[in-house]
Amino acid sequence: MTTESTTLPPRLRILVLDDEPIVCKRLKPIFQKSGYEVETFNSSAKALERLKDHAFDIVVTDLKMEGADGMQVLDKALESSPRTRVIIITGFATLETAKESFRKGAFDFVAKPFKLGDIIDCVRRIETELRAAPTDQG
Amino acid sequence: MNIRRVFASWRHGTRQLPFAVQFKKFQNILERNNRVLELMADMGDKLGGEYVFDRHYIEQITERLGAQVFQLISDLSVLSQRKNVDLFQAFEHIRHQLEQELAGHPPVSGYDYVLPLEAIGAEQAEQAGSKVAHLGEARARLSLTVPDGFVVTTRAFFDFMNQEGLLQRAADAMEAWDGSDETLRELAADMRRRILSAPLPRGLAKKIQIRTDRLLKGRPNGTQLAVRSSAWHEDGESSFAGQYASILGIGRDGVLDAYREVVASAYSATAWRYRVLRGFREHEVAMAVGVQILLDGEVSGVLHTYAPHVAEGVMALGMVRGQCAAVVDGSAPVQTLTLDRVPPHAVLAAPPEDALLAPAQLRELAEAAMALERYAKRPQDIEWTFDRQGRLVILQARPLRFWAAPDTAEPDVVEATRDAEIIFSGHGHIAQRGLAAGPVRVVRTDKDLDTFPDGTILVARHTSPRYSRVMRKARGIITDIGSPTGHMATIAREFRVPALVGAEVATRLLRDGDEITLDCSQGVVYRGRIRALDRFELTEAEVFEDTYEYRLLRRLLAHIAPLNLIDPSSESFAPHACRTYHDITRYIHENAIRELIALSERHGDQHHSTPKRLITTIPLGLVVIDGGDGATCLPDARAVRVEDIACPLFKDFVIGIDCGMWRTDPVPVNLGSFMSSLTRTFSSALAAPDQIGRNLAVVLPNYMNLNMRLGYHFNIINAYVCDEINDNYIYFRFMGGVTEFIRRSRRAKFLAEILERFDFRVEIHGDLVVGRVKKLDTARMARRMRMLGALVGYARQLDARMHSEDDVRHHVQTFLHATRELCGGEHDHGIDDPSAPAAHPCSR
Repeated sequence: MTTESTTLPPRLRILVLDDEPIVCKRLKPIFQKSGYEVETFNSSAKALERLKDHAFDIVVTDLKMEGADGMQVLDKALESSPRTRVIIITGFATLETAKESFRKGAFDFVAKPFKLGDIIDCVRRIETELRAAPTDQG
Repeated sequence: MNIRRVFASWRHGTRQLPFAVQFKKFQNILERNNRVLELMADMGDKLGGEYVFDRHYIEQITERLGAQVFQLISDLSVLSQRKNVDLFQAFEHIRHQLEQELAGHPPVSGYDYVLPLEAIGAEQAEQAGSKVAHLGEARARLSLTVPDGFVVTTRAFFDFMNQEGLLQRAADAMEAWDGSDETLRELAADMRRRILSAPLPRGLAKKIQIRTDRLLKGRPNGTQLAVRSSAWHEDGESSFAGQYASILGIGRDGVLDAYREVVASAYSATAWRYRVLRGFREHEVAMAVGVQILLDGEVSGVLHTYAPHVAEGVMALGMVRGQCAAVVDGSAPVQTLTLDRVPPHAVLAAPPEDALLAPAQLRELAEAAMALERYAKRPQDIEWTFDRQGRLVILQARPLRFWAAPDTAEPDVVEATRDAEIIFSGHGHIAQRGLAAGPVRVVRTDKDLDTFPDGTILVARHTSPRYSRVMRKARGIITDIGSPTGHMATIAREFRVPALVGAEVATRLLRDGDEITLDCSQGVVYRGRIRALDRFELTEAEVFEDTYEYRLLRRLLAHIAPLNLIDPSSESFAPHACRTYHDITRYIHENAIRELIALSERHGDQHHSTPKRLITTIPLGLVVIDGGDGATCLPDARAVRVEDIACPLFKDFVIGIDCGMWRTDPVPVNLGSFMSSLTRTFSSALAAPDQIGRNLAVVLPNYMNLNMRLGYHFNIINAYVCDEINDNYIYFRFMGGVTEFIRRSRRAKFLAEILERFDFRVEIHGDLVVGRVKKLDTARMARRMRMLGALVGYARQLDARMHSEDDVRHHVQTFLHATRELCGGEHDHGIDDPSAPAAHPCSR
């Protein structure tokens, strides 16, 4: 039996979805380096497919995309796993879309372009919150 | 955007707009001008890698910028009541180029059949192919020696291949390909036959011959050439190593055949198959061809800057006597060595007795190799030679890729960073992303730069563009103070040296020789070298600086940011010479001021007063326009005395420029030359105020707007005071100069330091210094206007005197000392002292 002090908490799993590959390309290594497991998607259909059979701790999603948009991804992600925290990233930030994302349960709303440091901070805040919260998975 | 709409309401002889309306337009121009400069700075900052941006951002900001510039021209048209067709044309031309760039078709201008190596950098990768573009960068940015030569561009390739429909033929053939090797071989043989016999496009053969002759001129008879492939994506994600042809050892007359041969190699069966396997489409094939002098190598070889399969932390070297080809094709016995990646790059096993390179040569090679790696942010596979004169020449440098994670027992990046000691984090701004591991070198004086060791991390109190001297050697830069939009940040981005600025605590926490790892993507400084981080960065899937978006932004900025219109008195200061948006804004600004004076002249007796020459002891060449109750003299007077101005802000400013400067006489500043240069600039214009068109003040009782050109610098001061303290502001802007970069930036630093002492919020964007101060009471604002008067005069003669960084400090002290009484001694304590008398030495 291992004790608390020697067991490391499992790495958080992050799904990144943006139809512009550059965003995934930039975010993947920075999240990996910070100690997270990352999967990236350029199409919301594929990401939704993945969300069906796999729970992620954090979903970072673009808002405007072909097919299902970020709001739908937000809904689906929370539907299949209420513990999941969703960060919306968008280049079309308006007060309305920000309000709507929060109303639908987004953890944060980040306007593009954003600093790598800011998104890492955001993820760290989620990590602290998730680690503090009791989990039903034990 | 419809140009006609702008003019629709205009007819010749229409009623003139009231001066107040026109003046408002003028102010709009100034504001918009600032917005344009800010958008430009915003785009430049994005190259540093701190931000995640996408194509949408690039498109959007380019459009916003275009809209602002268009509006600026329209504003000028309203102000001048002229159509400014040539400006709109210049604008449309630039906008078209930007659109072409965004659409992925680099503009035809500057997209020649043949380009000399000197004209090539990363931005030309589409035209020159990646291999030649890398060599161009190594030459231009890193000052490495590469073989002289030129490139036959992809434009030539497209025209050549399209002339007889060969590209279409290739695309159709691949569409119909049954997947069998036999068919592919037949296809390849057919393409090759057609390419070798196809005529070259008009003018191409001649251009290649002329360039070849120029290349061979002055060299011994029998000098041989190398003709090498430089295709799109070669050296990219897929290496294409050995897929395309290089033809060595040909003479002048063999170049055209060799060109066709290299182009044909893009359609060999193996190359074709390789592309299919890697998922390339036919339209992604483009072959540029490099033509270079073939060097007579004494010792040549290949170096891999990172060789984890040999050992962690080493570079691997293979070499032969003579030319490099023998190493690559394995036709001669190769001497191998392993070197430490860390300076001084020791040989890690006992060198053989018949070592081909001396220790000094090994070190020179290793330093050049690491400079290439640092710049590319990727391990490098380098072909090199030491020629008969003992010069190190880089023949080729391409990224080295690791498909599998190196087999290592070392901890992974997360474990390594978790266990590492963080010296500091969360301080400062990232001016250039990247990772640097190595010893610290604290730089305090210019002398420290003379002895700056290769491969160390520069730590300093302030940012400074003089660090450009050691950019090639520096592995990273950390400063306590500085902005990511400053000059040094721009240079660090150019050289891609990881840089963290404004980190506050660096010089306090870091000592010479400390081994650290600077992670500029997260803004963390760790104690020790964290190899796992280094390895993580070196094996990252794609380097930011190699991404399409990065290159696109850089190409767009080339049509936006450079300033070519510098001297308003020169004939080339004209719309047709505007090559960038920056040029257009500069031109408009200059002309808006000219217009405002002319306008005020025209309105003259009907509305407000005539423009008036200001009578001062110093001939400032300043024309004053009374915007309404701003002067007490007669409306049609052609001259006005300071005491007749009813704008206290302006009076204070003139007191500053006048008294302050004369009072500094004892300090070692040659005021005589300062004043003579002022006089010289404007003496001819003094007789006819409407022709000066440069130094202009618009005054109202509680407002002033000053546009002042002194030499090549431009100064704007906009100020408003009233009883409502919250509305009070002073806006100060200083821009331009034709002295070298370093001196201009020293002056910018001087200005910034002074302004900050007087509570201005200061921003420096390249040439531009902007200071804003708000919400101070009338008395404090008055003291600041006096200070600005003195500052404008003082800064005018400074650019030539900024010999060293110490001069900045010296001049700050001199200036503060000299203006002490003038400014009520405020800066002595850094706080306002209401009880202090606001006396100045020459109150009238």
